[in-house]
Amino acid sequence: MIGRNIISKALLCSLFLIVSAGSVSAQNRHKRYQKTPKQPIFQVKDTLPVIGSMAKLGEKQMNKGLVNSALSAMSGRVVGVNVVAGGQDRMAMLASVRVRGTTSLTGGNDPLVIIDGVSSDLSTLSTIYPADIESFTILKNASETSKYGSRGASGVIVVKTKRGGGGAFQIAYDGTIGFEKVSKRLQMLNAKEYIQAAKALGLVYNDQGFDTDFQKEITQTGFVNNHHVAFSGGNEKSNYRASLGYMRGETVIKDKNYSNFTAKLDISQLAFDEKLKIDFGVFGASQKDDKLYNSQMLFYSSAAMNPTLSFNKVGDGWQRNSNSSQIAAPAPLLLERNDEQNLSFNTHLQLSLQLSHDLQLSALGSYSYASTENARFAPTWVWAQGMAYRGENKSEDLLGNISLNWKRQWNIHRIEATALAEYQQNKRSAFWTEVKGLANNAFGYNNLAAGVARPYGGTGSNYTSSSLSSVMLTATYTLLDRYTVNLTTRADGSSMVGDDHTWGFFPSVSATWDMKKERFLRDVKAISLLDLRMGYGRSGNLGAISSYLTMKQFMPVGVVSYNGSPTVTLGTLRNSNPDLRWETRSTFNIGTDLGLFNNRLLLTAEYYYSKTTGMLYEYDVPVPTFAFDKLLANIGSMSNSGFELGIGLVPISRKDMELNINVNMSWQKNKLLSLSGNYRGREMTAPTITNREMNGAGFHGGDNHILYQIVGQPLGVFYLPHCKGIVDNGHGHYKYDIADLNNDGVIDLSDHGDRYIAGQATPKMTLGSNISFRYKDFDISLQMNGAFGHKVFNGTTLSYLNMSNFPDYNVLKEAPGRNIVDQNVTDYWLESGNYLNFDYLTIGWNTPIKNKYITALRFSFNINNLATITSYSGLTPMVNSYVFDSTMGIDDKRTYFPYRTYSIGVSIKF
Amino acid sequence: MRYAYLLLFTTFMFASCLDESPKSSLDDQQVYTSAKDVYLNTVANLYNYIGGDADSQGLQGTYKGVYDYNTFTTDEAMIPIRGGDWYDGGFWENLYLHRWKADDAALYETWKYLYKVVVFSNEALSTIDKYKHLLTEDQYKHYQAEARAVRSLYYFYLMDMFGNIPLATTVNENVQNNDQKSRPEVYKFIVKELQETEPLLPEGHSNQEGIYYGRVTRSVANFLLAKLMLNAEVYSDSDWTDNQQPDGSQIIFNIDGQQLNAWQACKVYCDKVTADGFNLSADYLNNFTVHNETSMENIFVIPMDKLIYRNQFQYLFRSRHYAHGGAVGTSSENGACATVSTVRTFGYGSSNVDKRYAYNFYSDTVRVDGKIVRLENGDPLIYHPLAAEINLTNSPYIKTAGARMAKYEVDRNAYNDGKSPDNDIVLFRYADVLLMKAEAEVRNGESGDVEMNKVRSRSGMGNKSATLDNILSERLMELMWEGWRRNDLIRFGRFHQSYDQRTAPQSEADRHTIVFPIPSRILELNKNMKQNKGYKTTTPDFN
Repeated sequence: MIGRNIISKALLCSLFLIVSAGSVSAQNRHKRYQKTPKQPIFQVKDTLPVIGSMAKLGEKQMNKGLVNSALSAMSGRVVGVNVVAGGQDRMAMLASVRVRGTTSLTGGNDPLVIIDGVSSDLSTLSTIYPADIESFTILKNASETSKYGSRGASGVIVVKTKRGGGGAFQIAYDGTIGFEKVSKRLQMLNAKEYIQAAKALGLVYNDQGFDTDFQKEITQTGFVNNHHVAFSGGNEKSNYRASLGYMRGETVIKDKNYSNFTAKLDISQLAFDEKLKIDFGVFGASQKDDKLYNSQMLFYSSAAMNPTLSFNKVGDGWQRNSNSSQIAAPAPLLLERNDEQNLSFNTHLQLSLQLSHDLQLSALGSYSYASTENARFAPTWVWAQGMAYRGENKSEDLLGNISLNWKRQWNIHRIEATALAEYQQNKRSAFWTEVKGLANNAFGYNNLAAGVARPYGGTGSNYTSSSLSSVMLTATYTLLDRYTVNLTTRADGSSMVGDDHTWGFFPSVSATWDMKKERFLRDVKAISLLDLRMGYGRSGNLGAISSYLTMKQFMPVGVVSYNGSPTVTLGTLRNSNPDLRWETRSTFNIGTDLGLFNNRLLLTAEYYYSKTTGMLYEYDVPVPTFAFDKLLANIGSMSNSGFELGIGLVPISRKDMELNINVNMSWQKNKLLSLSGNYRGREMTAPTITNREMNGAGFHGGDNHILYQIVGQPLGVFYLPHCKGIVDNGHGHYKYDIADLNNDGVIDLSDHGDRYIAGQATPKMTLGSNISFRYKDFDISLQMNGAFGHKVFNGTTLSYLNMSNFPDYNVLKEAPGRNIVDQNVTDYWLESGNYLNFDYLTIGWNTPIKNKYITALRFSFNINNLATITSYSGLTPMVNSYVFDSTMGIDDKRTYFPYRTYSIGVSIKF
Repeated sequence: MRYAYLLLFTTFMFASCLDESPKSSLDDQQVYTSAKDVYLNTVANLYNYIGGDADSQGLQGTYKGVYDYNTFTTDEAMIPIRGGDWYDGGFWENLYLHRWKADDAALYETWKYLYKVVVFSNEALSTIDKYKHLLTEDQYKHYQAEARAVRSLYYFYLMDMFGNIPLATTVNENVQNNDQKSRPEVYKFIVKELQETEPLLPEGHSNQEGIYYGRVTRSVANFLLAKLMLNAEVYSDSDWTDNQQPDGSQIIFNIDGQQLNAWQACKVYCDKVTADGFNLSADYLNNFTVHNETSMENIFVIPMDKLIYRNQFQYLFRSRHYAHGGAVGTSSENGACATVSTVRTFGYGSSNVDKRYAYNFYSDTVRVDGKIVRLENGDPLIYHPLAAEINLTNSPYIKTAGARMAKYEVDRNAYNDGKSPDNDIVLFRYADVLLMKAEAEVRNGESGDVEMNKVRSRSGMGNKSATLDNILSERLMELMWEGWRRNDLIRFGRFHQSYDQRTAPQSEADRHTIVFPIPSRILELNKNMKQNKGYKTTTPDFN
């Protein structure tokens, strides 16, 4: 380990040496530094749709209205990119992004995020104040992502933050305030109806005389409050930009708030006769988020609690139905805490040196530190003896790279080439402790000494470190300014894969033909843009692997009595696989962009097909031979294909009036090709169900499986018994009449029994559309998102219609009338998930006020979550339909109440 | 060009530091440095798995594992469907009605749990070999013996539950080397292993705190051997569906140079346990108190301590009514109860109720600390033992039917909703040894009255003659809630028959249900394996 330290120090030193060597030699040449902006293939007005394979989303194309996070600025604006609303807590809700769907089973499905040249992740991106972002560039095709090698398999989001413009001093303020209201709740029986229903059925019930709407009691009017100040200044040679942002929100759930404070500073300096450019940036954020301790418990309890009980304390405790053991009194549930505090600090320094007219050397070093502190508390009213927990996760990421950029143009040829060497190290450490037996609930998690016991297993720590080194070569050749060919190859070496598989190679090739420049189109006035592009490439994915999985690791297992005293023993906790290697994804794409009538109508279309091979997954292995039944290995394969279409239309474009209509549509098809194989002579397959079932009273185990992964099918299909209808069960109640699908005379609900594939959880088609209209100084913008072709299992209604739990658990208003005493999972509650959601409507006024100080003043009024058009009968069809986890496609008593936000915004520029 | 060299050089530098060594986990060189390390991280480590805190983990204490498959599949107890509660996709009902299937997830989990410990035992043996140089000859022998004995304990449960199973005895990554063996072969192996290792095992009382606490000692091995002998007819039967069974008096074992039949052999091992100083506690309930480590009767337990061990005991929590749980300051799930036939066996409802009824059950009006436990509407909580049936959905006693589990003293300071008490969980007990001996005697044509009546009189019950029927009833009453009922019913040929409110289907007449099916996932992953007779293994058809 000492050896490693020396090596990494030597490495850093060598980096600086190289950099300084470069600058010394540069002094001898008297050539001016030249800016080398990347030339896009075509340039269109930035209010037009985001088109082309390298979809760039400028500031004007980002979402307006109330935007709480960098990711929501992007949602619905780029074809093939789905920002996943988990529907849970505010900040976590933006935790997932899928670029062209799910490509890996186990992990690494989040796209790589590059912020100002530094590789990062979605959670860091979500800490950036949206107003600090200049552009997003989304790379989807392998020919572009292969530059990022092993981490680019799930797409790349390149984020450029705002920098000083080099002009005069500027200061700008943006602010939004608004409120949020719950727009839909479940219609449960009120106290009177509850008593009536119980009486009518002759059931014993408990009437405490109150009439409580628990769903209403746990909610409130939310409040949002966002402010941002940015100032910049300088001159041609040196400039800066600094900004401060603050946002705070009180959510619609009582006592659950979030806040984010950000500070950012960027400085640029040209030096040594403008041959050296120095970019320095530092960015910090402090986020707080009071998450729901257990959203399902809270929402389930508030819906199913006996409405004759009181929400508030009666005497010295809260009332509850003791027979309903799966739910708890909602008021003390709100006292549970699951608070997260995130502190992050990121800094980078880039030196770019113009060595000669056509040669540029750059060096980039960056350091990021993030700490997430989690504090949890369960009062004794909720958990016998109570519980308090504190834990911290820290990450440190170090990155250094050096690149050489060379370009030359002669006659009809243009060539540009880059070589890059990069090294990064990622350290992760964590510790946590949990106490039980609380002396007094008033301490919360703030004084762990109030807990009498720290049971074994509640305290621990860990440390991991991984490193990745890479070398990348890319060359682009352009002939006659219209035929472009790009070749890229990247080699990545990782410490996490098996010793024999350290290096992965990720080559790609792409070609573009700018047809508008051809003679036969040059004079065709109607066509303002036409190009054709094609690419093929491979990229890698290690998202499923964590450090040291290739080694047999010994860790504390538990405590046994040894010679009369408790002693910790060490053992292994999982199977290790020394053969782990890179998961690779090969992608082919072909696309075209067409602009008509001076780009008043823009069309972009692209088809892609990708195949993931050597897919990392926890495959089943036989026990015995193995001690554990899962082994992470590379054997399966999966394909994704799709078609993307973007349309941009400008029907009106006059000085006083402008109308823009943008629509993007993407069709996606995913197919699991194989999940079994022979790995080192061992037979391995993957399970078909992965524990996706219902929760709550009467739903523990048995034949409650809903979502399956089946070879030959898309990832996540509903495999369910078929309900022929609702019939009398012979006891005066009704039940789901289940079909004997295999005609063997027996109704068998098990996995191998009477079930059929009833639909898929991921949308077959997604839609994003924006309509904006401007008249003089007024503008209006409407954003819509939709998803089609998928199903949602309405487990919430299945549970709340089931009269076999009544009156211990409250039911929907319609339940006593339907009188269904059955909770078998069937396709009866599998509903179409199609929806069209009106995300926001913004009305803005750019005031004509302009004077010596104020250069621009704008007011806006926004409504977010305006309305949803859907046939889905539950609260909202916008459940998790993209991320393949235990909640995918299943609406099971955990859906966050839909809410609408009304806000007003002010922007002033001085 | 020199810049290109620079780049090349840097790349080389970068590539050279791709070695990362873990800090929060160790490799085996770091783990095994002394004799103590070798013992702790091989043999002692196995004891972490005797109990558990998750479903199917542990020999007792958790849900859906060895205990539930040996208890709720019998006439002893059931978890009825109580409206929306305990339906759980038909799981508990299927256990009671013997409708389990090869693809039941809990069965697969149970298989994996048992074999995990077998594989760890094999790894322990190979590690002890590898680090032999750190050990004295004596240490080497004793460590090996203890690891083999633990493995035999797990093979006992595997063979008992699944019949024909793979016999893995070494660390080998090749599936083919773990061929399925017939039940008699596995049985012979277990007996041989225990006989060989027994003299090398520690001699102390495993249930008592100290050097031997929680370990597989000689008495534990002798108890197991007695069990294996008593069930010799069942375990030596290579085809249990052919309506023929070997005769125990013709099954011969060689014990310490003597040729003995199964019943005589059982008696020898029972006597060995007696010779180790075990005795009946004066008070039945002393064996189940919060601090039951001083019992002279308990032979093998799962050590419990809410602060130290993660093992849980979830059965009181699972059984008692919600209001009852609230009255003792913990939660509960209002589930498991005794069957009607069980409470009748205890004489419930007659004038002559066995004393042990009150030890083992909460029944009728529930009192805690002398106070009547009341429901929300003020009514007293009354358990109705005779109203128990597997599906209570249309019963007026939906929440209150059935006598509930008592037996273990309630630890009012237990953690995890009452699932982490300090009472050690009793796996093997001396009263069972006396009843085994009585039964062996009767089966061998002798009288077992002395042993059986010793057990009865401890609880103040009068003498009875030790007929096989009386012994089976006696075992139910004495060993209620201890996880032996399935084993007993199979030995008495009753498991596959109708009992309590269960009507055995015609398909069960071939006795195929006396072993569980091999989990279908195992058959898919190891093509050499065959399903046990009488079970269908369907492969999924997704078309």
